[in-house]
Amino acid sequence: MARTSEIDATAPKHLQDKYAIAGIGETTYARGSGRTTRALACWAISNAIKDAGMTPADIDGMLSYSGNDSTFSPVIAGDLGIRPNFFMDVHGGGSSTEALIGIAIGVIEAGMCSAVVVFRAMNGYSEVRIGGTGARSAVPVSGDALHDRAYGWQSAGQRFSLTFMRHMYDYGTTPEQVAHVKVAHSKHASNNPKAYYKKRYTVDDVVNSRFICKPLHLLDCCVETDNATAVIVTRADRAKDTPHRAPLIRSVVGRCCKPRPEVHYQHGPISTVAGHYAKDILWRNAGVGPEDIDITGSYDAFTFTAMLQLEDYGFCKKGEGGGYVSSGIIELGGKRPNNTAGGHLCEGYTHGMNMVIENVRQLRGEVDDSCPAGPDGRKRHTHDYREGGCRAVKDPELTCNMGWATPGIGSALVMRRGD
Amino acid sequence: MPGDLPAPIVNADSAPYWEGARNGKLLLQRCRDCGTLRFFPRYLCTACGSDHTEWAEASGRGTVHSFTIVHRAALPEFQARTPYVVALIDLEEGPRMMTNIVGDDALDVALGEAVTMAFEERGTEGAMVPQFRRGAGDV
Ligand SMILES: [Zn+2]
Repeated sequence: MARTSEIDATAPKHLQDKYAIAGIGETTYARGSGRTTRALACWAISNAIKDAGMTPADIDGMLSYSGNDSTFSPVIAGDLGIRPNFFMDVHGGGSSTEALIGIAIGVIEAGMCSAVVVFRAMNGYSEVRIGGTGARSAVPVSGDALHDRAYGWQSAGQRFSLTFMRHMYDYGTTPEQVAHVKVAHSKHASNNPKAYYKKRYTVDDVVNSRFICKPLHLLDCCVETDNATAVIVTRADRAKDTPHRAPLIRSVVGRCCKPRPEVHYQHGPISTVAGHYAKDILWRNAGVGPEDIDITGSYDAFTFTAMLQLEDYGFCKKGEGGGYVSSGIIELGGKRPNNTAGGHLCEGYTHGMNMVIENVRQLRGEVDDSCPAGPDGRKRHTHDYREGGCRAVKDPELTCNMGWATPGIGSALVMRRGD
Repeated sequence: MPGDLPAPIVNADSAPYWEGARNGKLLLQRCRDCGTLRFFPRYLCTACGSDHTEWAEASGRGTVHSFTIVHRAALPEFQARTPYVVALIDLEEGPRMMTNIVGDDALDVALGEAVTMAFEERGTEGAMVPQFRRGAGDV
């Protein structure tokens, strides 16, 4: 019996461009929101509904993800006056955004509902800390956790660092190369009025900041924030009624796994991540390849996670991720900028949603930077990326988001500019 | 200090493993149908799916596959131990296991180097957790 299957999961090319992101919504990115996750969810979803030119009565599907740190869909539905024909609240953090967008397409295609809002509401700073300190660390150590938590191996940084160290060993990747991810994302965030951290950082700043767990310095790690984010998925023909040129979904991969996802490190090489498997579904269903992508949204829980995924999804050769992220390509003004709003390292921590929202804005040509608006109210982007300036990429056509749960589990999404 | 660190709460899959550790043995599961060794303890063979299992004692020797040095612990019990080493060990027998590198020179650990099993007492009832120290010394 073959235990590690090589299934060709590609097939539904008839769904290319048939679905769209009809609306996006966010709260502020804050530390100490002073609000419940219930209030945050209502705030972000209301913004998304308004953005889509809809009313709550137009939404009949809801999807959310959380780690027991949010408010479930029926409560939010009641608050907002939504009557769901479908809802589901799933467990999960990173990699959920893209996966749930795929599920939304599936349930609409199945005729179960027609407009699905996907949301993530979290007080990731003031309630449940993503870094694993506080309430989450108090869970008793039992069962299979004995093989990791018994060794003081628990937080995301600790869990992933073994992969990062091995990548440095296998390919000669250096902390200085990977620090360029923070340099790029902080540059982008400095042109994002809503980013939690707007300060630009240098490679020296990153590698001279204190160690959290080797090879991760403090500035290799993302920020923990309180916020909610939401996107609305509908059929593309329905999204034509929205006030914006809604981006179309080319291809989606949801929580694709390496072999042995329960302990991925049992199946080498550990310096290869789930994107290695996800890419074969993503690109074949999208009908485009990494060379066609204008903007990436590679999940930056850490500088290293962004680098590893860019490499394993094929934006550079295996082992050359350090060279890729330190080449200038991933910066605004470079050939293929990554996380142009500043991502998790700088804008705020959402478990992936803000990176999808940013790429929607880029594809709509409606990035919310400080460029001046014309008489029609629309921004006149300067494409001058100096500090405090523009962060709009010029005429992007295709974006690729890459969500990360663990080295062994990832999701991805290719969107293209709407017609 | 180790007495304050998490002690095993044994479950049905792992009971023989922890009983072995208590007696100074590192036990792996071996499939009685295909012979594959596996770690950590579980019901089914990861190679063939068989549930026919026996326990085999490992030599306690291995090499460092990867490691991290933790400067900020999530579990409060580990904060006093920082900085400490979490490592993946490629056991001589094949399976890869998580552990701490312990000993005065633990922070000098390097990928690919030889390590040897040691045990650390946890809790107040004689529970032992398999650990490793640097070098190819006696088990
Ligand atoms: Zn077997």
